[in-house]
Amino acid sequence: MEKLQYFIEYFNEEPLIIQITWIGSCVLFITSIGLIIYLKAIRSHLRKNEKIVNTYQKKYEELLITYLYAGAEEEGISSKQQSIIKKLESEIKNEFKREIVITTLLKLKNEISGEMADSIQELYCEVGLLDHSLIKLKSSSWYIIAMGIRELTQFHIEKVQHKVVKYANHSKNEVRKEVQFYLVSLFHFKGLDFLDDLKVPLSEWDQIQLLEVLQHSKDQEICNIIPWLKSKNDSVVIFALKLAEIYNQFETKEILLSLLTHKSEKLRIELIRVLNHLSIFEAKEIIKNTFNKKSKDEQIAFFQLLENLCDSNDKSFVLEQVYNKNFEIKFAALKILKTLDNNQFKNLELIPPESEFVKIAKFLQNN
Amino acid sequence: MDTSTVNTVLLIFHYFFFVYTIAAILSYMILAIISLVETSEYKKKNSFVNYKEILSSRISPSISIIAPAYNESLNIIENVRSLLSSHYVNYDVIIINDGSKDDSLEKLIKAYNLVKVNYLINQQIPTQPLREGVFKSTNPAFEKLIVVDKENGGKADALNMGLNISKSKYTACIDVDCLLLEDALQKMIKPFLERTDVKVIATGGVIRIANACTIKNGKLLDVAMPKKFLERAQILEYIRSFLLGRMAWSRLNGLLVISGAFGMFDKKIAIKIGGYDTNTVGEDMEIIVRMRRYMEEKKIKYKVAYIPDPLCWTEAPDNYKTFISQRNRWTRGTIETLKTHRKIGLNYKYSELGLLSFPYWFLFERMAPLIEVVGIIYFTVLLALGSLRWDYAFVFFISAYLFFVIFSLVAILSEEHTYHQYKKKGTGFKLIMTSLLEPFIFHPFILYAAIRGNIDYFFNKNLKWGEMKRKGLSKT
Repeated sequence: MEKLQYFIEYFNEEPLIIQITWIGSCVLFITSIGLIIYLKAIRSHLRKNEKIVNTYQKKYEELLITYLYAGAEEEGISSKQQSIIKKLESEIKNEFKREIVITTLLKLKNEISGEMADSIQELYCEVGLLDHSLIKLKSSSWYIIAMGIRELTQFHIEKVQHKVVKYANHSKNEVRKEVQFYLVSLFHFKGLDFLDDLKVPLSEWDQIQLLEVLQHSKDQEICNIIPWLKSKNDSVVIFALKLAEIYNQFETKEILLSLLTHKSEKLRIELIRVLNHLSIFEAKEIIKNTFNKKSKDEQIAFFQLLENLCDSNDKSFVLEQVYNKNFEIKFAALKILKTLDNNQFKNLELIPPESEFVKIAKFLQNN
Repeated sequence: MDTSTVNTVLLIFHYFFFVYTIAAILSYMILAIISLVETSEYKKKNSFVNYKEILSSRISPSISIIAPAYNESLNIIENVRSLLSSHYVNYDVIIINDGSKDDSLEKLIKAYNLVKVNYLINQQIPTQPLREGVFKSTNPAFEKLIVVDKENGGKADALNMGLNISKSKYTACIDVDCLLLEDALQKMIKPFLERTDVKVIATGGVIRIANACTIKNGKLLDVAMPKKFLERAQILEYIRSFLLGRMAWSRLNGLLVISGAFGMFDKKIAIKIGGYDTNTVGEDMEIIVRMRRYMEEKKIKYKVAYIPDPLCWTEAPDNYKTFISQRNRWTRGTIETLKTHRKIGLNYKYSELGLLSFPYWFLFERMAPLIEVVGIIYFTVLLALGSLRWDYAFVFFISAYLFFVIFSLVAILSEEHTYHQYKKKGTGFKLIMTSLLEPFIFHPFILYAAIRGNIDYFFNKNLKWGEMKRKGLSKT
């Protein structure tokens, strides 16, 4: 008691700054003890949780497998299946268990195919998980909405398209992505309609994802991409260019050529690449006429096109570029010249130009 | 000096240390809060990402992994195998044998059926010349591998050769002995492809310490906590630095450094600025500062992104000699970079870079060890003058210590809430003990290395990289 009294007196006599530091130290000490306890608790919680999840996952897996093999010969649900549905219905009332049921269903769905995969989808609706996914769409949190849409995509729920499309212009990118992914995964090329009205840029990442989904879908009948090639959204045009390349859309030639004067350099470079892929000869003369006004990257892209589409008429143009300061252009020009007129290529070597030129020429000579 | 002058000087010191400490504590707290928010947001957003599509896509952009190697004969075969095991489709691995004196090249030739090829190099960045030349494998299984044998020129020079050789749009520069997780490339490339509002010029990944972990055939099988305190302290230090520091700087778009162990760059910009600086030992920090400076001067909106996922595992020094040598080099690298780009500091033309990151780095990274030493001298002077109030010293010391411990505990908590890599029972206790003991056992060595770095910078200009003897990840 005396010691405490002594400490109180000592504390009261100290300057304010020291008093504050003492109080701060006490707070920090209590906080550190609290954090250590919390850390121990969270670690054991995580370990315990992992075990619980594993146990439930095993339990649900067994239930679901039983459900799949308990199907009645005739159409409809057998009594055994009915009892499993009831069991699952009561389990999914708990949010924690519901998430495990969904994960287990998805795991199984990815491992099986055909009728059994369809049964999983039906079960998703039967036990009421579909309703829970739809409730998620009404959430105020973007994360929950995106999760809901993801579930609808994974279980291929086509009938709620009108409810999902509402979020196509959601302020959060992740939600928009999920909507796009839902539409393209379920409706393939028809799902691309969202591009008509897309106000925000479609990132390269999104484009790759969408194209991959499209390429893996059974329906490979591509829709009309011309409206997207005319879009005011540059990223939509670039995406349409990629579609034109992958699906060899030769009929879009005229509009592709008209895009050569587009204001976006990135788009023009992508366009030259596509024109090269589609071997559109008409592009060659158009670009040659404005070659010196083009950016370096466009010029390089054009020379890649020329390597593919060159003929003897291009020789004089190529000769003008063999001394271009850019390494890639110089290399491409020499390579094309070697293909078009090997004698002239050899004669060029006689002129003593700079070392880079010699290096390229020698390399081409030996290869 | 009369008593009043001495008192005035002491008072100035008092207030200087007090203000500096408060500023440091506040900045750490702010950075920690931003980091926690950013990491949690990243985790949320990332939970929706499907990396499978990008893996198999033939239109995914090409990446070159550039890995310089110098006398790595002991582990080179296994290290290259690990680099070749990425799940990304469109990539190649460029190993730059930087004038190794051992049999690294012979081993590579034998193990990967390499043959010399005629390779046209666009020498955009000057480097040391080729020695034996460029090699590629005759075995289709290793078609992604390119081995370049060149004269020794140091790590930066080797990386520059890699930039010249690479035909990809993006380059991942990595230490050859690092273990890359299979999904590392697609996670690192994501910011480049995802941002439409700004140009992403580089991405950095979290580096984790692999000492004591089980690694087989280039794959991380088990994460464990090492027995040595030095290694454990570095694990804690890395968690703190990556999860509570860099994440916040990424959010503020103020990242000044991407670890040399693993970083990805937009190759075009890296080449435009002239590649890595061969005259510094801190080339990893220097290139980022120069790239940022270039973008600021060109007035192009840009970002240096950061991925908090544990993507790259490396071997940390397990003895104090190597550790001090490494930290000495880091200190010299920081001083060199800050000095080279001093124009940026407090210059409004460089926006956040000039007004936030650079001054922070100067005050709390560059100057911190020096101020700490001045503090120790000041403490000794007070002691000698008999003016030391032990009770005051004690309360300041205890609050600084507790703050440091809390900061470490928050870092561990962040790790548990996000990646929970150290799952084994007992590792939590070890990490807590490490955070309690670190200020007494580990910190003095960091301080010593930093001071040695300063001395070497000013008085031993010829000192370069120093050597780090490695055991190899599979043997850690």
